[in-house]
Amino acid sequence: MAVLALPATPADAILGVPPTRVFRPASLDEAEEAVREIARDGLRLAFVGGGTELDLGAPPSALDAVLYTTGLGRVLEYAPLDQIVTVEAGVPLAALQARLRGEQQMLALDPPWAERATVGGVVATNAFGPRRTRYGAVRDLIIGVTLVRADGTRAKGGGKVVKNVAGFDLPKLMVGSLGSLGLIGTVTFRLHPLAETSSTVLFPQVTPVAAGRLVLEMYAAQLEAGAVAALWTDRGVEVGCRFEGFEAGVRQQRDRLSSIAQKLQMPAEVLDGSSADGFWRRHTAAREAPASLRAKIASQPAESPQAAAEAWAILREALQAPRAVLYPTLGLGFVAGDVPEAGALILAIARARAALALHGGHLILHAAPAQVRGQTDVWGPAPAATFLFRRLKDALDPEHRLAVGRLVGGL
Amino acid sequence: MSAPSAVSPAIPTPARPVSAWVLAQLGSIVGPQHVLSDRGALRTYASDALATFAVEPGVVVLPASTAEVAEVVKVARSAGLPVVPRGSGTGLSGGALPVPGCVLVGLSRMKRILEVDLANRWMRVEPGVINLDVSKRIAPDGYYYAPDPSSQSVCSIGGNLAENSGGAHCLKYGFTVNHVLAARLVTYDGTVVDLGSAVPDTPGFDVLGVLVGSEGLVGIVTEVTLRILRKPEATRTFFATFPSTTEAGHCVSEIIGSGIIPAAIEMMDRLAIEAAKAATGLDWPDVGAALLMDVDGPLAEAEHTSQKAVELARRTGALEVRVPKDEDERLLMWKGRKSAFAAVGRISPNYLVQDGVIPRTAIAEVLAEISRLSQKDGLRVANVFHAGDGNLHPLVLFDAKRPGEEQRAEALAGEILRICLRHGGSITGEHGVGADKAPYMGEMFSEADLDTMARVRCAFDPEQRFNPGKVFPTPRLCGDRPGIYSPHPAELSGLAERV
Repeated sequence: MAVLALPATPADAILGVPPTRVFRPASLDEAEEAVREIARDGLRLAFVGGGTELDLGAPPSALDAVLYTTGLGRVLEYAPLDQIVTVEAGVPLAALQARLRGEQQMLALDPPWAERATVGGVVATNAFGPRRTRYGAVRDLIIGVTLVRADGTRAKGGGKVVKNVAGFDLPKLMVGSLGSLGLIGTVTFRLHPLAETSSTVLFPQVTPVAAGRLVLEMYAAQLEAGAVAALWTDRGVEVGCRFEGFEAGVRQQRDRLSSIAQKLQMPAEVLDGSSADGFWRRHTAAREAPASLRAKIASQPAESPQAAAEAWAILREALQAPRAVLYPTLGLGFVAGDVPEAGALILAIARARAALALHGGHLILHAAPAQVRGQTDVWGPAPAATFLFRRLKDALDPEHRLAVGRLVGGL
Repeated sequence: MSAPSAVSPAIPTPARPVSAWVLAQLGSIVGPQHVLSDRGALRTYASDALATFAVEPGVVVLPASTAEVAEVVKVARSAGLPVVPRGSGTGLSGGALPVPGCVLVGLSRMKRILEVDLANRWMRVEPGVINLDVSKRIAPDGYYYAPDPSSQSVCSIGGNLAENSGGAHCLKYGFTVNHVLAARLVTYDGTVVDLGSAVPDTPGFDVLGVLVGSEGLVGIVTEVTLRILRKPEATRTFFATFPSTTEAGHCVSEIIGSGIIPAAIEMMDRLAIEAAKAATGLDWPDVGAALLMDVDGPLAEAEHTSQKAVELARRTGALEVRVPKDEDERLLMWKGRKSAFAAVGRISPNYLVQDGVIPRTAIAEVLAEISRLSQKDGLRVANVFHAGDGNLHPLVLFDAKRPGEEQRAEALAGEILRICLRHGGSITGEHGVGADKAPYMGEMFSEADLDTMARVRCAFDPEQRFNPGKVFPTPRLCGDRPGIYSPHPAELSGLAERV
């Protein structure tokens, strides 16, 4: 059952690095066979799903072949009463959500480009959206994985029950790995019920400091927001706080936040149900709009409004049509825009990194023009544990053939 | 558990003494008074809470700082000795069981709370800090630490990390791994490295996610940054009784199917209820099954979900639903549940605790299978478990004084794990694999799965300095394919058994 290698086209390049051949397996068996074949030939390989976050990471330092996972498109097991689902890596997130919605359930991950993003890609890039506030990130929802190692060995970790401490946690090791430890073949997730209703309290015009204050007041009042997002443009900052759950709880929390807003003299609007769609559409548009620069900024949560404001003030000067999204409960945000002049941006990135570092934070480039990449490390300083990352790479991909050079520390 | 399986304690394998040079070196690092090598001390540390296994360590050393731990590891390495880390020794899988001649590193002296940051919701602690003391420290500010194993008043944070401990409330709030932001690790050669950060999304692999739950096989944790949570505004509890575990299991499915995410939902069968009553004096009725459930959150949400859950309990055949009238009564109900393991000691001279996991929807079927096995073998099995996530804790009751009964109990406990695996579950939900369940790993995972995990272990500890012989069913060298298993001559002749 030889898997056909197809000749590559320029569209198959990853960050400008073209492969010579591509593989489009239609099943996990075929994918395993392809990886074995590639291993026999000693080729350097990268895995691509929907391609929505291909610009994350450094360009591959060597690339012979690309394996597309989009043919791995089956939902293998969905057990609504057990609230778990096992899917092949190439299933688009939105398609999965549509299937789960039929049972009033969801995978509590809401990253951008859900129509195209595949579940394998979401795991490999640790993609997330505003729901992370309440349900956590990929690592908190993934409970099982089947992977194909560089040598074509198929192995699984975790399982299909949520509570399980047997063996080393291979599923978590795949999160954010960019496919550099193996092909993510299938993934098992824990699911959550869809909320009965939701309500968003919108603060149309706030300062970053006020946004930070708001979050602390919510904690103090024991409110449990499902999502908090601040949208930054040249016109100012607007903040939306969404509550989800059963009607009674949502109404009570929404009303309490409105009273807190009054006390703080912050103008606020209550948007029940779908009337909040406008705000959340603006949020998604801000994450998804094409931009030649996209940077993730991170800091300690309580300092994040201040840290983001400082990074914003620096970066916006070097960007056209700048915009940003901040999740102040998480301490994470994204700044995006177009780059009129690479030199100015390179300086701005260095200054923004220095400003964030004072808050213990960092900046990672998710997209940047080639001139910028050439002169700044997309990951920033390598963490102290990088020697362990290298040993893990050596252990699972000893010939360094998978997504070579894409990860932090040149791995 | 503080008072664990009251099985007949094993007679410890005697110590293989360490050299005078090692004793002197260790003494110079931690002070001679913190190096224990007398027979009594070695016996004390021969078992963790799984008393069926006992091996005396070569020496026990009690360091007080990261630097001391690193120096101790270096000495062990230069002497070629294995290192076994130990927290409070409450583990139920033999994870802290010494290996012959090892340096047992007890972390009980490292129990300082180093830093609390309420605004950013984290707390930095040493590994010897007791789980409950984390929550106690921040309770006055209205915060708490979510993972709550039943042993939380005695188990340590370091041990929780090693085992990825759960507890009753992990159904809604997750396990230890979901609440650890960073850890400081001493590796096999004494290198000190920080994994993770209080700032999210540090680049690179999730090595912290691998560390948590690695059962002491990758290094010694000397500092931990824990996520802390704001206390929920309200908690509502109810206790409901049912004719049998079938109705109770159905009730659990209905509650969860209705969109409620309970904070905890626990089930006890007739025998477990009887034991809990005997131990605590609670006035629980004599029924086939009971559920104890918590919902929490903002007041209106908690009120609504508890009302809805009570309705569902009634509709699915509850005989009686009790709602505690105050916090004292609520705590008493939970005390009944949390003391259930130890309470079984009241109705049986000895027992084994099992820790299998099954899909929630298989509860009724699996309990029926266990009951059939129990009748066939003539051994009683009490069931008390985390029903919301299908984490069973069958307690196999036996009398060690009756010849052969302990072996039959162990065989029955093993069969229960196989039932869990047949239903797509796991051999351990929260107690860990340790020494106890290592022989079953090969039934849950393929050789390729185990090889992949072993490679991960070797990336952290290429010398297998830490906790050798645990988790993996067969010994394997780093950098080598594992050899094909061939039985020892003694096994072939029936003199020894490979468990």
